[in-house]
Amino acid sequence: MRNLTNQLLLFKKYIHELNSFRAVIQSRCYSRPTSFPDYFQNPIFRKEDQLKLIENNELSKLASVPIKPPAVYETSSVYHDPLVNKVINHVMEEGKKKLARSLVEKAFENIKRIQIERYHLATTPEQKSKIVLNPKEILHTAIENCKPLLQLTPIKRGGITYQVPGPITEKRSLFLAIKWLLEAANEKERTVHFPEQFAWELLDAANNTGKVVKRKQDLHRQCEANRAYAHYRWQ
Amino acid sequence: MRLSPPLFSAPFNKSARRPQREPVPFQMLLPLELKKTVSGKGDKLREAACMQEMAIMFACFKKNDFNQQECLKEVTAFQGCYREYSDKVATQREQGKKGILVPGEKKLTHRQLNQLLKAFPPKK
Repeated sequence: MRNLTNQLLLFKKYIHELNSFRAVIQSRCYSRPTSFPDYFQNPIFRKEDQLKLIENNELSKLASVPIKPPAVYETSSVYHDPLVNKVINHVMEEGKKKLARSLVEKAFENIKRIQIERYHLATTPEQKSKIVLNPKEILHTAIENCKPLLQLTPIKRGGITYQVPGPITEKRSLFLAIKWLLEAANEKERTVHFPEQFAWELLDAANNTGKVVKRKQDLHRQCEANRAYAHYRWQ
Repeated sequence: MRLSPPLFSAPFNKSARRPQREPVPFQMLLPLELKKTVSGKGDKLREAACMQEMAIMFACFKKNDFNQQECLKEVTAFQGCYREYSDKVATQREQGKKGILVPGEKKLTHRQLNQLLKAFPPKK
């Protein structure tokens, strides 16, 4: 029960942090030069973000600034989820976005099927209420559970490279969580399809178990073992 | 007779490679005064942020066998500390880049120092 309340708390925290999170995800940084000069601002295409701008009276500032057009995936639809977009982009290989999207959607379908099966197998309404049926919610909790809190940076002191633990930025920890999830999903038998394995990995991670959560904990263990080197960050 | 070439290139008295004769005459290649600017090479010091919070978090992790769910308080404290720190560094960098001088600031960036040196040039 405590585990569940903790998870609920974590999810609420997540909802609370969604705005800062969105800022991390939505900033479009191009790796190569685009046709847009530096001073072009990113578009604000969500209704709620626009409302916030109106509340803060910042809309008039933006009115005089050139703004990039929104990309095709940036919609104000209720189904738009920046994190899902991010995952799709990570799954994508060689620009085959349609395929990547279909794979992620298939994984969501698998999650839904598994969870509905569990829902119908559950006997008491209390057990039923515990089961999360929304695959996007499961993705969010899974990624939240996989995000590492620390990272090891190699620092050379006196000819020896020490692995020094230190805090990690929000962006990097999100990247690592998605990367680890995909690596775990791709580590499978040839006969098992990606959406199936990805669905299982997501369900495991959302339940705070599985390969990826273990990997995160291993990283934390190593950080703890190397905590004596932490002051090397300083010099 | 065959002479070995190193004999001819050896530092004779006339050669530029001869040992120097004392006293060595002083040659002023650059004006003998400090520059009116400072370079930013020494500014790359990184301080260890949030060591205290990290230690507390590690202690909690060790107690609960690295279960993050049990240490939510410590984790949020650590993350909040790092966020504050990175915000602070970002604003400092921003102000340093622009060379904005904050009154009462003890630790100045090289850009801020240059700003000051420009405003009050060192007397000769």
